[in-house]
Amino acid sequence: MPSPQHRTAETASPLGVKGKPLLKVAGIEKSFPGVRALSGVSFEVAPGEVHALLGENGAGKSTLIKIISGVYRPDSGSIHVDGRDLRFEKPDDARKAGIATIYQELLLFPELTVAENIFMGHAPRTRFGQLDWAEMRARTEALLGSLDIHDLAAAQIVGALSVGNRQRVEILRALSQDARLLIMDEPTAALAEHDVKRLFEIVRRLKSRGVGIIYISHRLDEIFALADRVTVLRDGAQVGMRRVAETSSAELVQLMVGRRIENLFPKIAAPLGAPVLEVRDLVRRPMTKSVSLTVRAGEIVGLAGLVGSGRSELAQTVFGVTPADSGKILLSGREVRVRSPREARAFGIAYVPEDRSTQGLVRPMSVLHNFSLASLSWLSRGGFIDRAAEETLARDGVARFSVKTSSLGQIVGRLSGGNQQKIVLGKWLANDPKILILDEPTRGIDVGAKAEIHRLMSELAGQGLAILMISSELPEVLGMSDRVLVMREGRFVAEFARADATPQAVGAAMMGGEGAEAGRPT
Amino acid sequence: MTILAQSEASKVPLWLKRHETLLAAILVVALAILGLLNERFLTLDNLLNQGRFLTEVGLIALPMTFVIITGGIDLSVGSIVGLCAIMLGYSWKAFGFPLPLAIAFAVGVGALAGFVNGLLITRVRVPPLIMTIATLALYRGLAEGVSQAHSVRNYPEWFFSMGQGQWLGVPTQLLLLLVGVVVAGVALDRTTFGRALYVIGNNETAARFSGLPVDAIKLVVYTLSGLMAGLSAWVLVSRVTTTRSDMGIGYELDVIAAVVLGGTSIFGGSGTIWGTVVGLVMIQLLKNGLALTGVKGDATIIVIGAVLIASTLIASSLQARREGG
Amino acid sequence: MSAIPFPGVRASEHSVIRMLGSQEALLALAIIGVAILVGLDNARFLATRNLSDILLGNAYVAVAAIGMSMIIISGNIDISVGSLIGVMATISGSLAVAGAPIVVAWGLPLIVGVLVMALQGAIVAYLRIPSIVVTLGMLSILKGGLISVTGGKWITDLPESFHLADIELFGILPMPVLLMTVATALAAIWMRYSARGRSIYATGGNPEAARLCGISPQRTVVMVFAIHGFFAGVAALLFATQLKVIQSTVPPNLELTVITAAVVGGVSILGGVGTVVGSTLAAVLIAEIASALVFINVSPYWIHAVQGAMILATVVADILRRRRRLAGALTR
Repeated sequence: MPSPQHRTAETASPLGVKGKPLLKVAGIEKSFPGVRALSGVSFEVAPGEVHALLGENGAGKSTLIKIISGVYRPDSGSIHVDGRDLRFEKPDDARKAGIATIYQELLLFPELTVAENIFMGHAPRTRFGQLDWAEMRARTEALLGSLDIHDLAAAQIVGALSVGNRQRVEILRALSQDARLLIMDEPTAALAEHDVKRLFEIVRRLKSRGVGIIYISHRLDEIFALADRVTVLRDGAQVGMRRVAETSSAELVQLMVGRRIENLFPKIAAPLGAPVLEVRDLVRRPMTKSVSLTVRAGEIVGLAGLVGSGRSELAQTVFGVTPADSGKILLSGREVRVRSPREARAFGIAYVPEDRSTQGLVRPMSVLHNFSLASLSWLSRGGFIDRAAEETLARDGVARFSVKTSSLGQIVGRLSGGNQQKIVLGKWLANDPKILILDEPTRGIDVGAKAEIHRLMSELAGQGLAILMISSELPEVLGMSDRVLVMREGRFVAEFARADATPQAVGAAMMGGEGAEAGRPT
Repeated sequence: MTILAQSEASKVPLWLKRHETLLAAILVVALAILGLLNERFLTLDNLLNQGRFLTEVGLIALPMTFVIITGGIDLSVGSIVGLCAIMLGYSWKAFGFPLPLAIAFAVGVGALAGFVNGLLITRVRVPPLIMTIATLALYRGLAEGVSQAHSVRNYPEWFFSMGQGQWLGVPTQLLLLLVGVVVAGVALDRTTFGRALYVIGNNETAARFSGLPVDAIKLVVYTLSGLMAGLSAWVLVSRVTTTRSDMGIGYELDVIAAVVLGGTSIFGGSGTIWGTVVGLVMIQLLKNGLALTGVKGDATIIVIGAVLIASTLIASSLQARREGG
Repeated sequence: MSAIPFPGVRASEHSVIRMLGSQEALLALAIIGVAILVGLDNARFLATRNLSDILLGNAYVAVAAIGMSMIIISGNIDISVGSLIGVMATISGSLAVAGAPIVVAWGLPLIVGVLVMALQGAIVAYLRIPSIVVTLGMLSILKGGLISVTGGKWITDLPESFHLADIELFGILPMPVLLMTVATALAAIWMRYSARGRSIYATGGNPEAARLCGISPQRTVVMVFAIHGFFAGVAALLFATQLKVIQSTVPPNLELTVITAAVVGGVSILGGVGTVVGSTLAAVLIAEIASALVFINVSPYWIHAVQGAMILATVVADILRRRRRLAGALTR
């Protein structure tokens, strides 16, 4: 059923086209164990419309489009394409209904040509059933021409293409299958300026051909440039749908982040000490353009920014995973070269990564062994692990961080997200670091565990630890940080002291829309 | 055994326990059956003799366990044995090295061969499978080229003490193997090096992100693999009193079969030295039993091949059940 | 194709440039180059008798390499093919000696080859056992099986009609060369122009993407193994029917030579790339080099070292190139 928003006059009818919307989903509910991803979301797209989908990480955008493209099945709700009520059992069903998704890069065959990538699985045949390469080339060229692309040839090998060109191949593949609804998920996240412009041209062309587009992006300037309507999701619910012409960035930001910031984040004021970590003009191609920052003992510096702004890349450069091309890193005033995580660890730098499962934990191993993972060198004498010390370490850690586990031998892969994150934190804190870099510390974690981790962060800062926190959840950034730095496209674009950091100001700086000049530029 | 008991707490306890207990039980049953079938079988003499034979494969199976735990594989071990055997004979005969030096040289060549494997695997990121297939060909080719298919004989008496001698009633090489088993078992179970192997095999990315020296460790295991192949070559030459370039052909099958049979997952991340030892013993017993009942030596590899596929299958389905449950 | 000397050639739009800089062209040049160089040193190398011996005697390797190329392109490996060829040769010879019709003596091994390989393919595809483990195990089963069944006896007294490889069609075209050329051509055409043929590249290049295109990676793998078994069978026939006596052992290191031919021929060990024309040319080159060693008075015992070096060099070059290309494409 259409939600109340749809009844207001300004959003009643699809743009200028009478008749059925191309896609209409209503009342979509989807839950995963422990998490309610979508509650009663409705959404529609008209032919020739670009409908943007806006929301923070975890708001439910990804889940919604996975349902639309047939990867997930909704717990309840309906999907209508051209007015027909459809059920998608698998992605192929959605494809047959004319829905195509542009993924970032993984679905191409790097050693095959552009033409073959476009037509794999549905190549044109000759009379005798053979592949008709001439026809394939001709159709590819026609497709390229239809989008006014002149720097791609049918015979080029995809693996050698730039990211922008590969994306165009993906788009062409969708079009070759007569896609009428295209879903683009953060399409400009990895693109350079000129590629972004070309993408816009392509989108405009597709619009004029009646193709509907769902455009997910954090970048307000893009949404205002391209989209006709925008729907905002927050915490799994639809909080607003507006005509782009009739709204503003301020309103959208408010919809996206506006919520009461409860006192879940008791950041205790702590005395600030000397600078622990200083970064000067750090460069690491391609994502980190030139970055300088300082974190003092007892300070929590929050790093805000959109997906693709380069925050994790910065953290991983400081941590030595992708060592810097140029620039300086100073620890307590001393310049150091960090060429590997091993060196970083020795210098007292700790990094709790964004992706727990692949980077932070060894899922098939036990709580005990995960706790000691970064501490083996000092837990051992002459190469032999001191098991008693290891066990003590883990027991203390489990107690200190209230990790709910049946035993030290429990496999961490079976623990909840919150407990897993505590183990990763504990693993690094066991090493007594001087600077702790947290990358999305409470992503995918229930409220209770979140509060615990925040309290812990406060405590640690109070004890003199310097903390750099990367987070995409504005309330968390605003609540926990002494200072907020905003990153965009590999550089810092704004800095806010705690008192000046409001959701609107920070949100605007992140997205680069109106009001981006708020705060002190760096 | 303490190694088994300790490892139960650290890896996936239930599954491994099932596999290893099962294996040990089968071992006991097999011993009993073979003993009944042939009265010569259960004599100390025969068993010690079997121990002599299994040492050559056993020495290599120790570092191969390490390699497979990290998620890699080394198919070139048989060729390294051949190459080291040739280097032993030729550095003594043709280059004039004193025999002890020739032995050390041969083992050194083995370590170098393994090091080259490790270097290209870690620096160039050649997948271990194809790297060691290529060196399987290259090292065997070097052995053939250097020796020109000539063999070396007439080693002095004392040289045979390794391969044919005894100490306190136990075959010399078996003692060497036992030392190796203890060292490898302790290292795998109790040192940071051993722990790192499991981490790398389960999640190499997390290992790097936790500051473990992944590339250095991999380099070490492949070098060890070559080194033990060199030691094995020494034992082999000492036992058969001659040096030929076709030595060690097919060793990789026996070694990998023993390791996999012993519970090490071919996909990496789990396995114990104790399991490998049981696997080794079972395979040797199998060969011995078959031989005693009249099956010719060459035909036993049918069984080894079947055992390899079957044990991988079983381990893989057990793993699937564990992860699903 | 992977081993091109000039970066960017493969990405060139001009098909002529791509052809000239391609692996196949390189190999052809190498074949001619080696012939000239060795011929200058020892003219007898270029004698027709010698050149035809090289081709006729080794055509079977090229045929086996066709199937092996497909296996590697699909992202797998097979080290059992040498043993399988030995087994099929023995089956064929035994049938002929036992008086079976020649068609059966030639045909049954083909069927055996397909079945044995398809079985391995099924284990790899559906039971998810790595192909190295399956084929390593099968290698031993076949090798041991051959010895125990034949008891070490060699097969002698082969009937005249058995010798397929000695037949010359129309009096001038020797069967080995004919079969090699025809097989290569048919395989190349199939892999280029049929959807099933292309699905091998897709499965090897990106199995997830292949699945989303409607290709079943499992079925593709079984198919590839079966086809490989067929070509191995043809190779076995060519191999066996040239001999007066069929030994009870498998030809040593045959699988290595076949893998070398595939890899040097441009098949990338990472899957998704390569051509059968390349592997055939590479097989010819390897055979040529083996013969050349003799003519320039290098001991033939070095041939395996040379092969090993060739495969190592090709693989390292391939991987270095891929990494550079991947790094280049990611920077803006």
